[in-house]
Formats: sequence, structure tokens, C-alpha cells
Amino acid sequence: MDLTAPAIDIAGLDKFYGNFHALKGIDLRVAKGEKVVICGPSGSGKSTLIRCINQLEEHDGGAIRVFGTALDDSLASLDEIRREVGMVFQQFNLFPHMTVLENCTLAPMLVRKAARAEAEATAMRYLEKVRIPDQAQKYPGQLSGGQQQRVAIARALCMQPEILLFDEPTSALDPEMIAEVLDVMVTLAQEGMTMVCVTHEMGFARKVADRVIFMDKGEIVEEAAPEDFFTAPKSERTRLFLSQVLGH
Amino acid sequence: MTGPARSRTRLKRWRKDYFGSPGAALMTLFSVAALGAILWFLIDWGLIRATFGTDGTQKTCAAAGGACWSVIAVRWRVILFGIYPFDEQWRAALACGVVALVILLSCIPRLWSFRRLALIWTLGTAVFYALMRGGVLGLVPVNEQQWGGLPLTLFVFVATGVIGMPLAIGLALLRRSDYPLIARVSGWIIDTIRSLPLLSILFTCAIVLPFMLPGFLIGEKLYRVVFGAALFFAAYQAEIIRGGFQGIPLGQEEAAKALGLSYWQRMGRIVLPQAFRLALPATINQFVIAFMETSLIVVVGFMELLAAGNTAFKTGDWKFAYAEVYVFIALIYFTFVFGLSRYGAYLEARMNAGHARD
Repeated sequence: MDLTAPAIDIAGLDKFYGNFHALKGIDLRVAKGEKVVICGPSGSGKSTLIRCINQLEEHDGGAIRVFGTALDDSLASLDEIRREVGMVFQQFNLFPHMTVLENCTLAPMLVRKAARAEAEATAMRYLEKVRIPDQAQKYPGQLSGGQQQRVAIARALCMQPEILLFDEPTSALDPEMIAEVLDVMVTLAQEGMTMVCVTHEMGFARKVADRVIFMDKGEIVEEAAPEDFFTAPKSERTRLFLSQVLGH
Repeated sequence: MTGPARSRTRLKRWRKDYFGSPGAALMTLFSVAALGAILWFLIDWGLIRATFGTDGTQKTCAAAGGACWSVIAVRWRVILFGIYPFDEQWRAALACGVVALVILLSCIPRLWSFRRLALIWTLGTAVFYALMRGGVLGLVPVNEQQWGGLPLTLFVFVATGVIGMPLAIGLALLRRSDYPLIARVSGWIIDTIRSLPLLSILFTCAIVLPFMLPGFLIGEKLYRVVFGAALFFAAYQAEIIRGGFQGIPLGQEEAAKALGLSYWQRMGRIVLPQAFRLALPATINQFVIAFMETSLIVVVGFMELLAAGNTAFKTGDWKFAYAEVYVFIALIYFTFVFGLSRYGAYLEARMNAGHARD
């Protein structure tokens, strides 16, 4: 881990599902502290791209470096990268057989070898940050979707990662719960977390993103600061997409 | 609502449910009458006209016209302990107590940690073995061939579970391996064992294996048979666990991976606990079947509970009293299996309590 190297450095990334070319030579560099929003139509490869970063998907070609550590075939580099890269999923994926607190302390205790008291103190701190410390003893099934997603964010934060990946974090939420999750994400962004978010929340992108990336058919079509991206998109495909997302 | 009012509505419900139509009324009356008759017969036969105490004989029992529980009073040690040496049977009784205690302890959720359970079971097994086998602490050695009755049944059942469950978990995990070859081989093993009748596996282990294995691997017949039973148990239980795996959303393992958990941490903390929760009813069922199937080891020459019971009434004096002996044995099986089912129901309720809305 070299914290002066780019947080994420992806070069020529290829991914195939059978004959389907899901990612076509993607190049992407994210600096430490940068917030990048990736958008694009469904099937464009945006989720696949961020899932390659922590190897929930194995890539077939190209190179991925996280803070200078190359993702090679060794398990050691994978472990190291997963420790530093947290992820928040569309479906929350909280562990239903554990309480909220246990969800948050599990990985720090198993992976970081933290003592229980220390892990619980950290967990409570992050549960306060996402504004649900009073739910610590409940099970995920007893919480609303918005609360579950905030727990999922706290769980990822408890590992004290350098980078957070968000894979459509608000897409499975009822409309009235989206704001509470986005608020937490905005706070994180303002505190300087390195974030890569796959999302269609254009308001969020406008507010916090340093860069917006538009993907289509496994390629990065356009990459710009939010100001330029929303007001003066260069590509026809981007314009079409924006008109569909913003048009209602 | 006040008390009388509530009982009136209940009465109304009952009238509607059970006497709603002439057919339903007829059915209800017939069922109640049939149940009453059976119950009355059992009480009359088993209690009112029954003969208790050790001094009943065929003649006095027949004169009384009810069950002859004297056979149990006289022969209970044969039923419970088989041909285990008479003077040493206190050891067998104590060993049963140890097994019962170990099972009860493992049912307490507070003791559910790998280390504690391993300690309880290792200690329990050691004490059981020392008591039954002897040869230590001045206890007279008793060969496994002389074990019988309830301790033998319990031993085979417990050993089947203790060996079979880890095997089942191993087979189930191998079957979902990322490496197709390993997954397929594990699948073949499971399917092969499941394609064989338990009796043929027991026969093979007891009689055929000694001809095929090198001398130092043959071991005592009892352990070979237990291994066979465990293998059989493992094949079915592995499929039950696999069913549990399939009910877990993919995202669970992904989330665990993303948090940096290793394979064994993912399996031990995330996947297996959820799989077992989903597979619990079927798992309890499999244990019940395994308990019943212990009675099959009689065919390879072991006098487990049922076989010991058979010998108890095969002597001249008690040939007539088989029903009483079978009722007695049935009650023992019932106690264990009913306890097991109730415990399973308790576990399910306990697990569901935390997951009210998922």
C-alpha cells in the first residue's frame, strides 16, 4: 500500500461473459480523496467495472492497481486490497442472522484482529455517524430499507477503508428513503473519502462528484466535471441518456 | 370481552367448525367415539387390569386380563443393556447418563462455540468409552461385541452424527467448489452412497471390508459399522445442507468477500449458519431417521435396544409378553425422538424470533 500512489489505477481492463465483451479496454484513474460518479444505461458495464476493483468479478485482461498494489493472482494482494476497499451494495447484503452491531464488528474482529470492545466502540461511532445508534441491537430484518443501507455503509466504514465503492446504493429503496442514504454519502464525501459511485442520482453527482463518467456498451463514452457533463455533454449518447434520466 | 362472552363465541366457533353440517357432525361424533375407545382400551389394558411387580406370571396376568408389566420388571436389564455383563451394568447405565448429559448440554445455545462443544463432546466420548470398554481405572474390560441395548443404540446414533455431520459439511462444501472437477467428484461420491441401501453398506463394512483392508486398518467391527452409518448419514445430510446453500442470496457471500473475510471465515460465519437455519427442519428429520436406523445394526450381529428387547421375551416364561416389551421399547424411542422434534421446533422459533421481517 502506497498512499501517495493513485487510489485506483485501471489500465486496459477487459472482461468477457462467454462471448459477450462486457468491458472493452477500460482506463480509469482515481486520485486519493476524489469522488467519481459512474452512470450509464443498464448493461453498460458500470457495476462490473467497480466489482472488478475488489475482484467480486475476475477480469480477463488489463491491470488494476489500488494504491500501487497490483491485483495479480496472489491471494495476499487481493486480501490487502479488500481490506482497503469497502463496498456498499444495491441490495444492502446485511447478514440477517446477526444484529446490526455484530454486522459492524464481524470484519474488524476477524480481518483486522481488533478486540471486541474496540470493534464495538468503532461500530457505535459509525452507527452514530449514519444516525442509527439506537438500532444497534436489532436484526436487519427489523429495519427499513433506508436504515439497512445506512447500516451497510457503517459496516463498510468500520473496516476504515481508504476507498468506498457504491453499487447503485439507492436503486432498491423506496423514494422517501433515498434522501437519508444520500445525506450520509454527501457527509462522507465532504469528509474526504475516496468514493466511486455507480448511481443514477444526478443530484448527488452534481453536488459532490469531482468527475462524472458515462459508460455505454462496455466503454467509457464521456468523462467530465459535473458542470460540463450536465450542461455541455459532448457525445450524442450522453445527451440521449441525460435527457432520459433528467427529462422527468 | 368478558369471560362468559368469550366462551360463548368459542362455543359458537366449535359448533360451526365441527357440527356445521350433518356430515361434519357425524364425522365429529365418530372420531370422538373412536378416539375414546382407543384411549379406554389403552388405559384399561395398560393400567386398570394390568399386572405390575416382579411376581406376575403368565397365569396371573391372563387372569387379570390386562398388560403384564411383570416382564419389564423382571427383564428390564436385558432390554436396556443386552448381554453386557450383569455385574457391570451400572457402568452401562452411567454411560447412558453421560451421553444424555452431553446431548442436553449441546442443546443450550449459550454453549454453542466450537471450542466448548468440542470440549464437551471429547470429554463425554472419553468418559463413555472408558465406562463401556473398561480396562482403565480398575474397570473390567468389556469387549465391544458384548455391548448392547440402550447404550449401544445411543453410541451408534451419537457417533453417526458426530462423524457424519462434519463429513456432510465437507462434502457439501466440496460440491459447491469453484473447481468443477472437485465439485463433480464430490457429487459422484454423494450420489453413489445414496444409491446404495443402508443394509448393504452395513454388511460391507462389517463383513466384506476385513477381507479388503490391510490388517492395521480393519479395527473393531462396531467402529466399521458406525463409519458405514456415518457415511450414509453424511451423503443425505450433505444434500440437505446444499439445499440450505441454495436458499442464501448470492450477495451474502459477496458482502463477506468485500469485507475481506477469508474462505473459512465466510463459510463459518456467513454461509453455514444461514444454510443450517434454512435446512433445520430437514436436518432434524435426518437425525430422527438416523436414530431409527440404528436398529438395523442387528443384522450384523449387534444387540441394540430393539434386538435386546426381542431376546427379553424369547425365554420360555415370557414368550406371551411381546406386546408389553414392544410398548416399553416404543416409549424409549418416542421419548428420544419426540424430544428431538420439540427441540427442533424450539430452535426454529428461536431463530425466527430475530428475523421477524425478512
